[in-house]
Amino acid sequence: MPETLVKSPDREFTVEERSQAQLVFRRFLQHRAAVVSLCVFVVLILLAYVGGWLWKYDAGQYTPDNSVPPSWDHPFGTDSAGRDQFAQVLRGTRISLQVSVSVAILATLVGTLWGSVAGYFGGWVDTLMMRISDLVLTLPLIAVAAMLAHNFGGSWYLIALVIAALYWAYVSRVARGVVLSLREKEFVEAAKALGASDTRIILRHLVPNALGSILVNLTILVALAILLETSLSYLGFGVTPPDTSLGLLVSEAQTALTTRPWLFYFPGLFIIIIALTINFIGDGLRDAFDPQQTKVRQ
Amino acid sequence: MLAFAVRRILYSIPVLIVASFIIFALGSASADPLAPLREKNPPAPQNVIDAETIRLHLDQPLLQRYFSWLGGIFTGDFGPSVVSTANIGADLGDRFLVTIRLIALAMVIALILAVVIGVLTAVKQYSKFDYTATFLGFLFLAMPAFWFAILLKQAGIEFNGLVGTQAIYTIGQASVPPPQGTGAYIADIIGHMILPTISLALISYAAWSRFTRASMLEVMNSDYVRLARAKGLTRRTVMVKHGLRTALIPLTTVTALDIASIIGGAVVTENVFQWKGMGDYLVNSIRMNDVYATASWLLIAATVVIAFNLIADLLYGVLDPRIRYA
Amino acid sequence: MKRTRAAAAAAVATAAALVLAACGGGGGAGGSSGGVYGDCATDPNTCNSAAPDQLQQGGTVTLASEKNIDNWNVISSEGNTDWTGMATKPLLTYAFYTSPDLKPTLNTDLLDSADLTNPTTVTYKIKQDAVWSDGTPVTADDFAMSWKWQNTRDCPECETAGNGGYDLIQSVTGSDNGKTVTVALSQPYTDWQSLFNSAAPLFPAHIGAQQGDLNSPAGLKAAFDYFGSTVPNYSAGPFLVENWQDNVALTLVPNPKWYGATKPKLDRIVIRVITDATQEPLALQNNEVQALFPQPQVDIVNQLQNIPNVSQYQAAGLSWEHFDFNLVNPFLADKALRQALYTSVNVQDIIGKTVGQFNSDIKPLTNKMFVPGQDGYQDNLTATGQGAGNVDAAKKILTDAGYTGVGTALVAPNGQAVPTLRMRYTVGNAVRQTESELFAASAKQLGVNVEIQTTDSLGTTLSTGDYDVIVFGWIMSPAPFGGAQQLWLSTSASNYGKYVNPTVDQLINEAASSTDINAARAQLNDADKIMAEDAYVLPLYQKPTLAAVQNTLGNVRNNASLDGITYNTSEWGIRSGS
Repeated sequence: MPETLVKSPDREFTVEERSQAQLVFRRFLQHRAAVVSLCVFVVLILLAYVGGWLWKYDAGQYTPDNSVPPSWDHPFGTDSAGRDQFAQVLRGTRISLQVSVSVAILATLVGTLWGSVAGYFGGWVDTLMMRISDLVLTLPLIAVAAMLAHNFGGSWYLIALVIAALYWAYVSRVARGVVLSLREKEFVEAAKALGASDTRIILRHLVPNALGSILVNLTILVALAILLETSLSYLGFGVTPPDTSLGLLVSEAQTALTTRPWLFYFPGLFIIIIALTINFIGDGLRDAFDPQQTKVRQ
Repeated sequence: MLAFAVRRILYSIPVLIVASFIIFALGSASADPLAPLREKNPPAPQNVIDAETIRLHLDQPLLQRYFSWLGGIFTGDFGPSVVSTANIGADLGDRFLVTIRLIALAMVIALILAVVIGVLTAVKQYSKFDYTATFLGFLFLAMPAFWFAILLKQAGIEFNGLVGTQAIYTIGQASVPPPQGTGAYIADIIGHMILPTISLALISYAAWSRFTRASMLEVMNSDYVRLARAKGLTRRTVMVKHGLRTALIPLTTVTALDIASIIGGAVVTENVFQWKGMGDYLVNSIRMNDVYATASWLLIAATVVIAFNLIADLLYGVLDPRIRYA
Repeated sequence: MKRTRAAAAAAVATAAALVLAACGGGGGAGGSSGGVYGDCATDPNTCNSAAPDQLQQGGTVTLASEKNIDNWNVISSEGNTDWTGMATKPLLTYAFYTSPDLKPTLNTDLLDSADLTNPTTVTYKIKQDAVWSDGTPVTADDFAMSWKWQNTRDCPECETAGNGGYDLIQSVTGSDNGKTVTVALSQPYTDWQSLFNSAAPLFPAHIGAQQGDLNSPAGLKAAFDYFGSTVPNYSAGPFLVENWQDNVALTLVPNPKWYGATKPKLDRIVIRVITDATQEPLALQNNEVQALFPQPQVDIVNQLQNIPNVSQYQAAGLSWEHFDFNLVNPFLADKALRQALYTSVNVQDIIGKTVGQFNSDIKPLTNKMFVPGQDGYQDNLTATGQGAGNVDAAKKILTDAGYTGVGTALVAPNGQAVPTLRMRYTVGNAVRQTESELFAASAKQLGVNVEIQTTDSLGTTLSTGDYDVIVFGWIMSPAPFGGAQQLWLSTSASNYGKYVNPTVDQLINEAASSTDINAARAQLNDADKIMAEDAYVLPLYQKPTLAAVQNTLGNVRNNASLDGITYNTSEWGIRSGS
């Protein structure tokens, strides 16, 4: 969301900064798919949080209707134990979003700092820190996540921690790349000349200027995390009952395709909608932050 | 160039060694290989558990276990599996071949599709074709891999029903026993490969075609392509000779760097289609708390990823004359 | 922009298509039999029969197995898995097996007779023409090796799965060229038919002897390990191993030296490893396999129902679910509270929301010693009112016992409030989650709070007693008397809830070394009645086993015992003209 960009790095340039934010915002609005996606996504969040609260059934509540197909009473049908699938999907959506947003934020925070520090200082600090990132990137994510989740996992926050512990390395690479290109820019030289500390330069100059790429990456991470959690659930290493997630719901329903399709399609559809809208939002943000790309398009 | 390659390989060794230690330590710290024994109903007798403790070296400290594992690998011994009759090295070798077959074919198909679709969408930017392909690409990127694979399986069965023969198989990498005759044998192998390859290829294809489209657009708008056009070269010549070649250079890197996530995708695909490859092995090993098997798997995967990264770097230099290895 | 509109339209179209597809399909109610399995409920031993002349000569049958074979020695702790047992059943021979009606049955292919000649002596008479596939006769030596592996004295290093009864054997002697086997017991053993049964079959002692001296612990251990790690190239059953591909498939072909009455009709049996049972119905539909024996789940059952020319049958099996109390908890030490909690639980409702979804025939289990079908089964539970879901009766029990706050916040007669009880179930097990939550709901009605926690290590949770209430499964032993000793004695390692009742101990011990099997059954039932009255364990239901086959297969049928679907492979065949 563009509002977060208003936190300007330098007070002297407040006016110009706001206009840049407005520029980004205006460019984002031109990407209709992204705008539509943003609306759908907001509606989905409202549905998951407010809708689940208003809905007549609780996710864990047993009703007498076992395995009934969709009806007005149960718009998404019910499962074997008579739990309302609509309530279940909304709860799954909440937890899946919690997982993926936590992953995105955690991984972005750690990765951005890591990459910025490495890129800014360069030399052996850079080499050492990036070697560590490379180390993490060397391992197939799902394999390590499965191993860790099998032994530590089960609840949604542990799964989120495990996934974030692996994704930060991707972010650190992106952040480092951006910082490397910014490091030689005049305003950093100027800040240095004015005697600004390294911490101040990294936090007040480099990170905010890398915000565009980082924000784009953050949205992609949300989508990736939701899909990774789904794959983990399928393999049996994801969130486990009594917690739930869209991934768990859809994996539990993998045999239901021809017999109780409502159990198979609805959670799957929600995963697709979330990942799809987020990817479009990310696409829109990328265009908005990178005017050159937009120029190519026109 | 050669010096660069050698230096890169030497450089990779410490990374691999540190990686192997982290893998091993994480695995050992988190998984108890004896847990399944204790879970047995009725529980395994104490003498069984004691014997297993010794066989799996669990009586030794972590560092000692790590070094004997690492040392053993050089002689082809990947350590004791919780399955006393299993040989981790031999199992991984067999399964590696199965997985390579799946991954290689899927990558080739994904690459061809990605280049063709990527170029076409770039050339016909904003056409109906572009919109459809773009949307489908985004859709594939948003679909859970196994969810799609299950739909594919159902479609495969419907297809068999339509054509009235068993053309497509849903389980395993070949029939047992294999059918007689070369033609039938090849048809059997292909019939088993179709669904898993499609489901693995489509996921990579989506990302790669987006990438090809973007780099193609960038090249087409570059000055030298405009110059070539201005010189009077046909659009087609410019596309193929100048545009495509330049646009494909970064794709090789992306492809090679994606190997880790393709291996990850294969883990899911193999499970859906019951291919007895590396992915299936990993899942079983993790479930059985088989620390040595899991660590060996990860080490091999890490080696493959590092090798691919190296190849990407070298290829980049070959393809792009501007790059010089200093 | 045009692009966006097209994308949005495509999105809507896709979503609509998916939703329509979702609404199009219908769910099945889930009956349990039909097709060639129509008569299995009444004739479990003979349903889907086909006489030899109705079967074609030749053909391949592929059976899906849920597990790989890691260790071929089914007597060993590692090899003692359901699927290794089923895969080796066509290769190994044994004195008794369990038929589909859950009765121990003499293996008449191998034996002329097996009799208790006096209370402590069993005599087996082996058929003269019974030989291993290399021509060596099956003799008392094979019995002796199996006994020595399992008696814990001759081979303490042999990691066997269980040793029920073998430690009671004092000697195994052969006579009549080894074709008569005399087994001397140190005391009467009611379960003598479980000795050398199909769960602990015979291995070729002459091949074992090549690994070491079978009179020494080291030699026995060497043979024991050899049979575990070596793919069998021997057989005393109707089939031989042709090929084994680890994790992929076991291929069996007829054993030319097979001496049994029924010669195999099939050319080949392939046991295909499909570790994800949910993939099996599609493979059956696509004719990649012809027979399945998976753990039933609602969607597997319904999926099978929609496949033409496929029959399925669920039989009530030997494993059963139950609630357990931990009597170490001072509040649960009071019988009244336990009785009240079990009385408020509605077992029928629990079944309806779990296994009842795919099998409407499943009834609450009312005995902890025997399952229906086993001789000796009787209803010992209904009279106690437990499992009926009668909240009023439960409240009355509590009020009568002096509890206050019944239905709101329960306070024990001594004035202490009943604390929140911790209920555990295995993480990831959705069925047990439902069972736990329904238990908690009924306890709530009495004013008892139940907090549900998962465990990722059921064994540890049980052995450390880290629970107040727990739900898990037991497997009923085909040897009920030894099984009762293992599960219910106060000194048993499996007495996790610390239930102590000397009368029960005495009854169980007497039953296990009885000379009169009917008296022994009555004793076990008496013990069960006392335990039911004590409201320590509440049995819920028997888990069913599921067999599904293409209708062309004859004589392949569900055997819910540990013998499983492969108990009669020599009879298997493909119906002529199909």
